[in-house]
Amino acid sequence: METDAFSAVREQLGGISRRDFIKFCTVLAAGLGLPLGAGEQIAQAVVSARRPPVIWLSFQECTGCVESLLRSNHPSLEHLILDLISLDYSETLSAASGHQAEAAKAASIQENKGKFILVVDGAIPTKDKGIYCKIGGKTALEILNETAPHAGAIIAMGSCASWGGVAAAGSNPTEAKGIPELLPGKKVVTIPGCPPNPYNLLSTVLYYLTFNKLPELDEKGRPKFAYGRIIHENCERRPHFDAGRFAMQFGDEMHRRGGCLYKLGCKGPETYANCPSIGFGETGVGTWPVGVGHPCFGCSEKGVGFNTPLYTLANVKDLTPPVFFSEAFPNTPGVSSGIKSLAMGAGGLVVGAAGAAVLTGMGKKDEGENEKDSSHKEG
Amino acid sequence: MMDLTNYIGPKYNDFVQKLMDDRQTKYLGIKLITPFTLVLVALIAAAVVVALYRLAFGIGAASNLSDAWPWGLWISFDVLGGVCMAAGGFLIAGAVYIMGLEKYHCVARAAILNAFFGYLLAAISICMDIGRSVVIWKALISSQINSIMFIVAIHVVLYTSTLATESSPMFFEKVGWDGARNKVSRCMVGVALFGVLLSLLHQSSLGAVYLIAPGKLSPIWYSQWIPYCFLLSAIMLGLSMVSFETILTGKVWNHPPPRDVLSGLGRGTLIAGILYFALKVYILLDTPGLVNMVFDGGFLGNMYLLEMAVGVVLPIVLLSFKAVRNNIHRLFAVDILVISGVLLNRLNVGIFGVQEFATRSGGDYFPSAMEWTLTLGMIAFAILGFKLCAKYLNLFPQHH
Amino acid sequence: MPISRRDLLKGAASGGLLLASGLPTSANATMSTKLPPNAVGLLYDATLCIGCKSCVVNCKTKNCEPGGALYQEGMTKPPYETKGPGNSGQWDETQELTGKTLSVIKVYKNGTCQTKDAEVNGYSFFKQQCMHCITPACASVCPGGAFRKDPDNGSVYYIASKCIGCRYCQLACPFGLPRYEWDRAWPEVRKCQLCRHRTTKGGITACAEFCPTGATIFGRVTDLREEAQRRLALKPGDEYQFPIQTVHSRDRQPRKVAKYVPKVYGLTEVGGTQNILLSGVSFEHLGFRPYLKNQALPELTWHYIAKIPWVFAGVFIGGTAIYKITHRKEGDKP
Repeated sequence: METDAFSAVREQLGGISRRDFIKFCTVLAAGLGLPLGAGEQIAQAVVSARRPPVIWLSFQECTGCVESLLRSNHPSLEHLILDLISLDYSETLSAASGHQAEAAKAASIQENKGKFILVVDGAIPTKDKGIYCKIGGKTALEILNETAPHAGAIIAMGSCASWGGVAAAGSNPTEAKGIPELLPGKKVVTIPGCPPNPYNLLSTVLYYLTFNKLPELDEKGRPKFAYGRIIHENCERRPHFDAGRFAMQFGDEMHRRGGCLYKLGCKGPETYANCPSIGFGETGVGTWPVGVGHPCFGCSEKGVGFNTPLYTLANVKDLTPPVFFSEAFPNTPGVSSGIKSLAMGAGGLVVGAAGAAVLTGMGKKDEGENEKDSSHKEG
Repeated sequence: MMDLTNYIGPKYNDFVQKLMDDRQTKYLGIKLITPFTLVLVALIAAAVVVALYRLAFGIGAASNLSDAWPWGLWISFDVLGGVCMAAGGFLIAGAVYIMGLEKYHCVARAAILNAFFGYLLAAISICMDIGRSVVIWKALISSQINSIMFIVAIHVVLYTSTLATESSPMFFEKVGWDGARNKVSRCMVGVALFGVLLSLLHQSSLGAVYLIAPGKLSPIWYSQWIPYCFLLSAIMLGLSMVSFETILTGKVWNHPPPRDVLSGLGRGTLIAGILYFALKVYILLDTPGLVNMVFDGGFLGNMYLLEMAVGVVLPIVLLSFKAVRNNIHRLFAVDILVISGVLLNRLNVGIFGVQEFATRSGGDYFPSAMEWTLTLGMIAFAILGFKLCAKYLNLFPQHH
Repeated sequence: MPISRRDLLKGAASGGLLLASGLPTSANATMSTKLPPNAVGLLYDATLCIGCKSCVVNCKTKNCEPGGALYQEGMTKPPYETKGPGNSGQWDETQELTGKTLSVIKVYKNGTCQTKDAEVNGYSFFKQQCMHCITPACASVCPGGAFRKDPDNGSVYYIASKCIGCRYCQLACPFGLPRYEWDRAWPEVRKCQLCRHRTTKGGITACAEFCPTGATIFGRVTDLREEAQRRLALKPGDEYQFPIQTVHSRDRQPRKVAKYVPKVYGLTEVGGTQNILLSGVSFEHLGFRPYLKNQALPELTWHYIAKIPWVFAGVFIGGTAIYKITHRKEGDKP
């Protein structure tokens, strides 16, 4: 990283030292699972002259996802929006509102065609041509279709934007849908969760800015670094599941001792997320629902969160039996080795004895053969 | 024998002197301290050590038995083999005392003593093999008549006592307790009858032990007739053992073997063998698919064929010739065939025939060094015991 | 020589004694082929089992209480299996039924193990424990009478003080279930006893109580058999409210019915067992040998034992007759 470029923005970064800044970028790179050296690349991207534009659209949402972003510390929100990115439109965070805000959005889209990052939170109702969510006189559907074609990258933040979330729960009266469903054929990154950990979003965005491409995604558009494994595989209470130590009721002894919450309906076994690894709120290990004693309800998983009842048992998904189970029936064919050796030995002895007996004994002549031994009278 | 009057008093000294008086048997030429005897003593000593270790630390520490293989060498060889080798005792006792075949009287004492040691061997091995040896008496008082093991236990205890009674005259005679000797002699017929009864039952009961396990014991040996198979093979083996032991003592000691007795024993073995073979053939033909199983070249089929060929077919063929029955060397060879074959049969039933269940469940078994030690030590004990009795008791009475 | 009066009496007395003991008295619970009046047992449904091993853990813990099958005076913690590498005695690695483990969860695996309860490229769990046969072979063969079948609820339980450690029960059990304490100098045979110490006080077995999914449920055998048949009659994919803990429990778990092997194991095998099983993979894969017939095993031995009094009579009479015949010719030569 060139000294000049960094010193130019040092002031804006709050006087942070170059070393600390590179450290931050390295840590971020590690969180993304990138190789060493990527930190430098990220740092480079961050201090480059032009702050990349981000347009944040909000539809049928509770603002939880934005709130989640507000709770991030590295970077803190002010550094993020003032120094790292150019947040050109956000209904929650804009100082401006009304026509001014809409005009700023239109200008940004015009100026940055093909280059801006579009972040969407909230689902989009589609019933009756989508009139159940209107902003500035336009339906959510119209706004999306106006904006999405010009975006460089589209990120659906939160379960609602990813697959409908709570907005699509139950009978789904507004026929709410997630963004990927409404933009078929377009690559949409989904960051499901209710809310998701803000660092899942931040890492994805910074990755894009650094490498000009999106991180590896699964078939649902979720970045694999965050959603590649089910919670059950990373959960710190997994040993209790494996050993059969379950909390049967809230407050019972095993619950107080930190036992597995499967019996209370934990959906960890069928939910993909990285909650146990990074927690929430940056207050230490165990700062996630299971860690504080409430079963996971599968907020990020379509078909689980807002669908399966909270305290119903989860389907244990993809449970590859761990090596701690022994085989029900090995069904080993043939003869085991010890027995085979014993049989060879016994058989050999018999054949040997028989052979020796017959060969030596049968040919011998008995001198007294025809004598009748008369000395056997009863005595 | 030195005079111990000063140590134990005249009465006991008299007893010991009489017991240790071996002038009567000097003609046999039995030397006590020989290399062979030393080997026997060493084996017995090792077996005692193993027995103590097993009592102190449990069966798992002393053997390779496991849940997949609960019964192994000690049951199959020591107990099943030991008991069937001792079948000669009741046969000779029955022949002499019930059927009045006096010509066998001269081998009666040796045969009964042999059987006694065989049963001691089996009884001690059972005590070693069960986990709680000191409470073995609980099996005798439980009245579990459903259990073959209970029947076997009662019979073994009664029969060992019977054998002890039948062996006692030579002991009483040696130490001059003529009153006791006369009392026992007068009951000998009843005792022998009792012995025949018990033996018939528990030789077959040992086979019946396996009736409860139709899947575990391979159909090659398992059938409802298994008790009778055990009985007939025990009779074959018993008679052969008496013949073997008579000829062997004739070879190593100066004791000319009575030929008509031996040829009579040979005839008996032949008859028992024919009956046994007939039963086995009946079982083969009566069980669908069994002939294929036996002759398909598999592990169990081959073990069965080996046991039948060496232990039954070849001896029957050979014994049908007078030239074999009247020649003690040939008889000796046939005895060895029968002994190997029938003992192999007991191993087949006890170990090889039940291997499939264990192997498919993932188990394996090979007797541990301690198991071998105890087995060999028990056999050594029987041999040495017999030798001591031959030296100090009048086993072969026709020569005084 | 003539039989003395004394030994004639001796022979008759002992023969009579044994004859009397040989008379059939099979009117006891061990040999009965009927289900006891209040027979209880377990229904294990492998398709509901998730392999959490809660049953294994709680079986061990609860049976270490006084009266339990693993209880020993002075024990401070349940007996752990600690033979594996790196196990310093801190944790219990139950792999197999042993003298320390009365019930264990094992797995059937095939190919990629992707689909639960599929025979090909799938896996299934299996709970192995005593089946509590209606006519238990182990109880019939025990020479000391250490294994007993409760005449009321049918559980097959163990009285250690009567055991001599002969391990005939291990040979006799067609499922190979009783296990032995090989590593002790004063060993016991160990197997599930249907939590007798809890059921006699009105409770249920520990495994059923702590099973979170209802894979193991406790109840009267007649009710369990009905429940099993009910499940077999459902179509795979139907939703069913599976009871948890006991067969008549109000606590239910809605779940889609899996594809069962169309058989309830334990209705007739070896004369019927009080623990019955349902599975998605064939029972052979779980270790149940196909050659087991529907006949109660103790009957096979009883055929032989019932003949014993006749042998006594035959030999006694026949032997005496032979003796008389062979010795009449010789007069009264001693």
